[in-house]
Amino acid sequence: MFIHNFKYTFKTLLKNKALIFWSFAFPIILGTLFNMAFSNISNTEKLDVIDIAIVNNEEFKINTMYVDTFKSLSDKDNNDQLFNTKYVSIKKAKKLLEDDKIDGYMVIKDNKPNLVFNKNGINQTILKYVVEEIQSNKIIINNLTNIEIENQINNGNYNIDYNEISKNVINKINSDVNIIDKSNKNTDFMMIEFYTLIAMTCLYGGMISMTAINQNLANISNRGKRIEVAPTKKSTIILSSLCSSYLIQLMGLLLLFIYTIFVLNVCYGNNLLLIILLSLVGSLTGLSLGLSVGVLTKKGEGTKIGILLAITMIGSFLSGMMGVTLKYIIDKNIPILNKINPASMITDGFYSLYYYSNLDRYYFNIVSLLIVSSILIILSVIKLRRNKYDSI
Amino acid sequence: MTVFKTFFKILNKNKFIVILYTVILLVFGGFNMQTSERSLSFKPSKPNITIVNNDEDEGITKSFINYIKDNSDIPDIKLDNESLDDALFYEDTSYIVFIPKNYHTDFINGKNPFITIKKSNNYNAFYADMIVKRYLSIANSYVGSINNEDELIKLIDDTIDTDVKIEITSKIDSTNIDKASFYFNFESYSILACLIYVICLILSIFNNQNIHKRTIISSTNYKKNNRILLLSNLLYAFILWLFYLIASIVLLGNIIFTTYGVVFSINSLLFTICATSIAFFIGSIVTNKNAISGIVNVVALGSSFLCGAFVPTEYLPDSVISIAHILPTYYYVNTNDRIKDIEVFNMDNLKPIIINMIIIIIFIIVFIIFTNLMSKIKRKIG
Repeated sequence: MFIHNFKYTFKTLLKNKALIFWSFAFPIILGTLFNMAFSNISNTEKLDVIDIAIVNNEEFKINTMYVDTFKSLSDKDNNDQLFNTKYVSIKKAKKLLEDDKIDGYMVIKDNKPNLVFNKNGINQTILKYVVEEIQSNKIIINNLTNIEIENQINNGNYNIDYNEISKNVINKINSDVNIIDKSNKNTDFMMIEFYTLIAMTCLYGGMISMTAINQNLANISNRGKRIEVAPTKKSTIILSSLCSSYLIQLMGLLLLFIYTIFVLNVCYGNNLLLIILLSLVGSLTGLSLGLSVGVLTKKGEGTKIGILLAITMIGSFLSGMMGVTLKYIIDKNIPILNKINPASMITDGFYSLYYYSNLDRYYFNIVSLLIVSSILIILSVIKLRRNKYDSI
Repeated sequence: MTVFKTFFKILNKNKFIVILYTVILLVFGGFNMQTSERSLSFKPSKPNITIVNNDEDEGITKSFINYIKDNSDIPDIKLDNESLDDALFYEDTSYIVFIPKNYHTDFINGKNPFITIKKSNNYNAFYADMIVKRYLSIANSYVGSINNEDELIKLIDDTIDTDVKIEITSKIDSTNIDKASFYFNFESYSILACLIYVICLILSIFNNQNIHKRTIISSTNYKKNNRILLLSNLLYAFILWLFYLIASIVLLGNIIFTTYGVVFSINSLLFTICATSIAFFIGSIVTNKNAISGIVNVVALGSSFLCGAFVPTEYLPDSVISIAHILPTYYYVNTNDRIKDIEVFNMDNLKPIIINMIIIIIFIIVFIIFTNLMSKIKRKIG
């Protein structure tokens, strides 16, 4: 009986077009859209070469420090090229700024640099910063040279080697600062979008289990009435229905994984077994959610779908699907909300695999998901065992 | 009149969906409006930097921290490792500086102590890196030559404090216009979703086989029937547009009453009409009520993602933008983006906007023709 019901539930579920669209096709369509819209964001967040102009007057030409610095920062062969510099007349510089061809220009007047921008922004700030740094370096050279000369005179050395001093000072300015960079390499926060997509698909799976369970409920479908009066063990029927819906759910998820990994190049971290474990547990939560909504609400199928969709969408929304920062804001300010939201647990599980090297957070999410699933399943079983229909 | 009344009866029954998409617009629109500061003088951008200080708050350490505080914003983050890592990943902070124990004494004694950092991968982190390295570099240059800590700090402060004169030429305050442009771009999603959902639903009811048969045998011409339906649709669309416009006044304030606001509104009105014709066209093809929510999501989300309604077009890959050219939303969003960059309205910079609007009008005409064609074909089959 188990195999029989398993097989036919499987067939009827697969023939339900709306169900297959929402649980198979919709996540893939959404994933494609995410990829199209977000694939470039991480690149544009990096700094582009900044277009600037410098007024090429006599004062600039004799200021070797400015000439050299901007020459090296605008060198196309340099990997750290920061500026794309045009050396022009003041008239031309104004025109370029007006036409938005440059972010700003510099003119040296009375031995002081003046910067002209048409708006505030990070590019403008960086130009300002570079100019300030050149000014600072001038001051350092001045100060250090004075100190050095003073020291030598104090030591009784009147035969001062100015070349030697300036060489030492330049070396000091150019010496590296003592910084150790311990940044994580996996920092692409757009990945979260795809994790929420997986989370949504897991929970959408609840739609499949709910449809399956509806077929066994006498107050929802005719088939349910027929099954209710059949001399078969109810637990076998329900278990086999759920197993087949779980199988379909996993098929949809597998399809989405294959698509996101091979077509969209989404990175889920390196631990395949843990990814599979999280997917299995996440899908189980989706299944138990669908089961409990199906069993615990007495309304018609439309209302049940509405409730399930609302839970899934609100859950996905809170876990960052419509804006990754939302998950962070909630984690930071109302952590309890994401600790009881299955979509967040799944998303956070993938995030911890991707970003963190230790697995504590991952297992915390797995255990939370298992607890949620168990509670929902136990509630549903209690409800199902008590189901009695009046004789008509 | 019968058609008209029925239209609004069904609309009333489905108001929930309209409310839902409106709330989404207001939440996201409003979410982006929070920070509002006028700035016509130069304000340097400040990256978010977090400092974890394990040293005493004295001497060079204190001066270094003060310098960072002056040049960056310090976000409110818990200083345990997990919170810090999370903040870095979600870009709440771009750069974390860990100052080791005894840093200031080790530094002044020439022991060259190391500072540990963690940074994210964006331009704010790049800029933060410049800020932090500048201080350390200046301090490094002086440390061998000066042994008195107070003197060293004073010298560093004097060196950092250079006066570079900055002039801002623009006389418009672009921040509010940017916000308006974001709001109107996002509005395209709500308009498309609300219109397609409701109109398709209503048309699918009108196209119900029995009702459809009854309509065909009536003395009313199918074109007239379509026209009344189109008018009711347009009225609904107009009310929706007006409502969003009022909402924009509440959210954005006076900007709507400037030339910018007027062009934004005309543009959104045109797009609303276009969305109505699209909805009408889809409604004439789709008869299955269950398929509508799927179609709404695919069409509205799809065109919003591809055309830059959610993610600004400058962040979209070129390939996506070239695909987007076949969708009317692209021209709508493009107009909004262009308005934002205009300083003075003249024929030169209004020309591309007018071309965009003409393209949207062409889309409207094409969709109306298609709808009538579909209706004619269906009528023959029916």
